[in-house]
Amino acid sequence: MRSRSISKIFSIFFSVFLLFSCSSELDFDQVNDFKLEPVLVANLAYFDILANKLVDDGGTNIYPDVRDFDIFKDKFFNERLKKAEFDFEVENNINRSFIINMILLNAENQPLQTISFAVPSYKGTPNVIKYPTEVFENTRLDLLKQTQRIGFVVIITAGPPLNSESLGNLKLRSSATAYLVIE
Amino acid sequence: MRKTLILCLFFHLSCFAQNRELLYNFTSIPQSSLVNPGADVSYKYYFGFPVLSGISANAGSSSFSAYDLFADNGVDFNQKVRNVINKSSSRDKVVTNQQLEIFSGGLRVGGRDSKSYVSFGVYQEFDFFMFVPKDLALLALDGNRDYIGKSFNLGDLNVKAEVLSVFHVGFHKKVSDKFVYGGRAKIYSSGANATSTKNSGYIYTGQQAGTPNLYNQIISSNLELKTSGLASFTKDEYEGNVARDIANNTFFNGSLGLGIDAGITYYIKENLQFTASIIDLGFVRQTKDIETLTYKGTYQYNGANPDFLGFDDPENVFDEFDEAIPRDTLYNKYTTWRPTKIYSSIQYSFGEARPDDECNCRGSAEKYYKNAVGVQLFGMSAPREPLVALTAFYRRNIFRKLDVKATYTFDTFSNKNIGLGLAGTLGPVNIYALVNNILEYKDISKANSMAFQLGINFVFQDKE
Repeated sequence: MRSRSISKIFSIFFSVFLLFSCSSELDFDQVNDFKLEPVLVANLAYFDILANKLVDDGGTNIYPDVRDFDIFKDKFFNERLKKAEFDFEVENNINRSFIINMILLNAENQPLQTISFAVPSYKGTPNVIKYPTEVFENTRLDLLKQTQRIGFVVIITAGPPLNSESLGNLKLRSSATAYLVIE
Repeated sequence: MRKTLILCLFFHLSCFAQNRELLYNFTSIPQSSLVNPGADVSYKYYFGFPVLSGISANAGSSSFSAYDLFADNGVDFNQKVRNVINKSSSRDKVVTNQQLEIFSGGLRVGGRDSKSYVSFGVYQEFDFFMFVPKDLALLALDGNRDYIGKSFNLGDLNVKAEVLSVFHVGFHKKVSDKFVYGGRAKIYSSGANATSTKNSGYIYTGQQAGTPNLYNQIISSNLELKTSGLASFTKDEYEGNVARDIANNTFFNGSLGLGIDAGITYYIKENLQFTASIIDLGFVRQTKDIETLTYKGTYQYNGANPDFLGFDDPENVFDEFDEAIPRDTLYNKYTTWRPTKIYSSIQYSFGEARPDDECNCRGSAEKYYKNAVGVQLFGMSAPREPLVALTAFYRRNIFRKLDVKATYTFDTFSNKNIGLGLAGTLGPVNIYALVNNILEYKDISKANSMAFQLGINFVFQDKE
């Protein structure tokens, strides 16, 4: 008799435990929707050229340089990059105007795209120019992803000659914004 | 697939605290001696139903619940992840503990009038401890664009996990009506361990006037991950069953360690009892399949920097990065300390009773108390700072062989954690079930912590 009532109490308690354990509807398949969409900013390039290093006779001169840019060799980054933006800022304190060309080159040094900036000469007032954002999407993005090197060409246009006493400098600062989708 | 795995891991980990407030000093359950080897437990002999004598799982997350992530409420999953990360801080922790008793037993030694007992057994245990890596999660979710000037703290990464089996032999003795002491020796066999608890460094993107570049971008890294029993699974040539191999290593080929448990029960008065114990004071010497990965160094990223001087100065970001913050692999043995637990309780009993349901032929049946109330204190060693919990309890003896215990616990995870435990004996069969956080049972998915334990034993007492 006693043991029967004990077992009854047991079963009541256990079923109460089970009844208690309700749960809201959970949907674990949502995991498949999981994606990370970080937006990363990084330095792209900078230079600072002093006027007294640009000794010239007042004619048009060209200063080239090529740098490795191998971020796109990284498969993980390359495949997940959905959009990129480049922002440029140039400050010119030299009383000559310039054209700055940034040439994206592939592994064979073939130009893929050229981004060109016209820089007015210094007139004694602050001369900082922010250029419109270069946006890379679709085919333009595909070209960007093939980039392995970046060529920089600074063209100094005709004007007053520069010598080792000349003042001022030409500064470029730029950043890249990468929109990644990781899923 | 990998994503599912990571999230399963994240969720699994997120769901599981190690306090066993219901089991502690619940002396009608033989397993209570696992949390106090000096518990006032008596039997002629007992053995646990193999694999079913002690099943317990324990999960706690101080900042979010399963519902927060997986509710079927139409909110975008990525938004839920974002909400969880936003309401968590890097002090929030996720703790899991699971134990499975493979077998256990105990017997009285030294004859019928002796009050000395030996117990033994093997159980498997999984432990996981992590602080929410808030800064890294933000960086992965949002990137650095909206956090210019912020240092993402790499020290937020603080995690350890271990799968091990424990072989133990214990002894306890009731020296007098007032005093019981006990101890247990343990051999740990760790099948897999991962420890990354001493990280520091930062990832910083800032803008400073007067610097030539647009951003000041620095990664300063002092990261270290020690693993044991895991390295071979990460190799390309590995072709096996990870779960089976880890299980095998856990029981037969693990890194070995030693530990002890100790405890006492002291009756200040007949109805006023004090207990204390220390559990898992021990270490594992990690020696099997060890690998330590480190990333230590500082790297500043400047982008491309033409100087128009006509030199070909190759710049290779990856090579520079690898040189500045090299990935080093070391093969040093290391020692990990087990999460050591301490318990203490004070209990007042009232409601004297005599067993009226049994033949009292010899007139020697002991009186007992039907009710007990008290408080328990729990503490556990953990990275950065220990976990603590305070429990008030009430225990009621419904029939001679059916006890219930109710607890109210304050801890990191909840301040309204009510637990309910039931232990009964039918003949030699001892069954128990302990569940905490029952208030959350009306919707288990919204619970911040959950623990249950159940088991079946065969307990034999002297025939009256």
